[in-house]
Amino acid sequence: MEEDEGEKEAQQRIWSWGAGTEGQLGTKRLHDEHLPQLLLHQQPSLPSISSLACGGAHVIALTSSGKVMSWGRGNSGQLGYGEIVNNALCPKTVTSLDAYVITHVSAGWSHSAFVSDTGCLFTCGDGSFGQLGHGDYSSRCTPFKVSFFASQHVAQVACGMRHSLVLLQDGSLNQVYGFGSGKRGQLGVSKDKIKSINLPQVMSGLEDVEIAQIAANGDHSAALSVDGHLYTWGRGFKGFEDAHSPHCLNSTLNFRKATLGWNHALALTDEGEVYMLGGNHPGVLSDLQNMNPAKQIPDLREVNLEKVAGLDGIKIADIATGAEHSVVVTENGEVKTWGWGEHGQLGLGNTCDQISPVTVNCSQDLNEAASVRVYCGSGFTFALTMP
Amino acid sequence: MSYDDVEIEDMEWNDELQAYTYPCPCGDLFQITKEDLKLGEEIARCPSCSLYITVIYNLEDFLHHTNNPPLEPSNQQPLTVA
Repeated sequence: MEEDEGEKEAQQRIWSWGAGTEGQLGTKRLHDEHLPQLLLHQQPSLPSISSLACGGAHVIALTSSGKVMSWGRGNSGQLGYGEIVNNALCPKTVTSLDAYVITHVSAGWSHSAFVSDTGCLFTCGDGSFGQLGHGDYSSRCTPFKVSFFASQHVAQVACGMRHSLVLLQDGSLNQVYGFGSGKRGQLGVSKDKIKSINLPQVMSGLEDVEIAQIAANGDHSAALSVDGHLYTWGRGFKGFEDAHSPHCLNSTLNFRKATLGWNHALALTDEGEVYMLGGNHPGVLSDLQNMNPAKQIPDLREVNLEKVAGLDGIKIADIATGAEHSVVVTENGEVKTWGWGEHGQLGLGNTCDQISPVTVNCSQDLNEAASVRVYCGSGFTFALTMP
Repeated sequence: MSYDDVEIEDMEWNDELQAYTYPCPCGDLFQITKEDLKLGEEIARCPSCSLYITVIYNLEDFLHHTNNPPLEPSNQQPLTVA
């Protein structure tokens, strides 16, 4: 078994599809792809990728050895190359982080963040809302250490459209911080309306909760506690007010992963079931009226939370959300997508919207892979096999 | 159907495009020019897709201060709209 591992690692397969006019698909082309594109052929030298972070139109890849590569739109410095590039068509190493072992990456609309194994946080890209956390509103094209956390151990970072969240590793008090735009309450630092802050500020309302995962996208923020509770704050989902502090979803379900779009959220339970908050967005999906005609009266405790239709009896292993589309992977390695499809981000060979999950044909049998992980940028999608 | 309603103070002035912009979920930018705003236009379109947003602004601000676009959001005074 040991000998096989190296070989399997070399055979990692990466597919991308959707909006591609900034080079974000890594296909060396500047156009949309409506079907999954296998990147292995284009990138024979791509090292083994352990995770991806996809932003507005750029991608940050974390390699198995803790190095960082990036591609796509770079006009705000979000690729971290040390210079502004309009777009990078293929993966390039972020050399300024070579001295560090990076363990976690995140990509916002036009900024990026990196966490090292020593707990240091680095940010680059657009800083005009304070989302880089350096105490100013400057943009940076080289990852710059956030000195605020110099004496603390950062574990995770999550970048939204114009804000950032940070989770400290220590499961003690004061563990989640926010900075950047706070107009919709997405920083969770104050009940008052905050335009923006450029230095990390501790969030209120999660002091007594041990957090396992944080998420940010659009003007939304979320955190998942170690005991499976989902907290959301920021812009209100369909029909709900903005929340300036974390609200615990009143549910008996135990969640193990949560991802955010610009108007919806997905949450994966311990049992492999997928729930959606916010639902399909009316500005994007034209046939919303036809959705769920015989909708059940919602349980008041779980109002606004719907089980994703069409996945009955199917165990889900991973979830991802773009701005207006959703992706899940079944335990058999099948990728399913739904939501907005105008740029081919559903990978179904067309530009149609889908109101429930449809299987993507990745043209190769995925069953042999130990697992498949999916990642979404605003209007594009990546799937990769994990050894 | 409008994708979203966005206040002008949340849009960013883009020198290159000579337009106010706001992120579009497709990855491109919704755009509207000062000339459009002066004409009372309130729809900002994305050049890459079918989506558009409704811009919330005060027409008078653009009729009287034509050479003085609102500052970048980060430099603006915090505004509280009742």
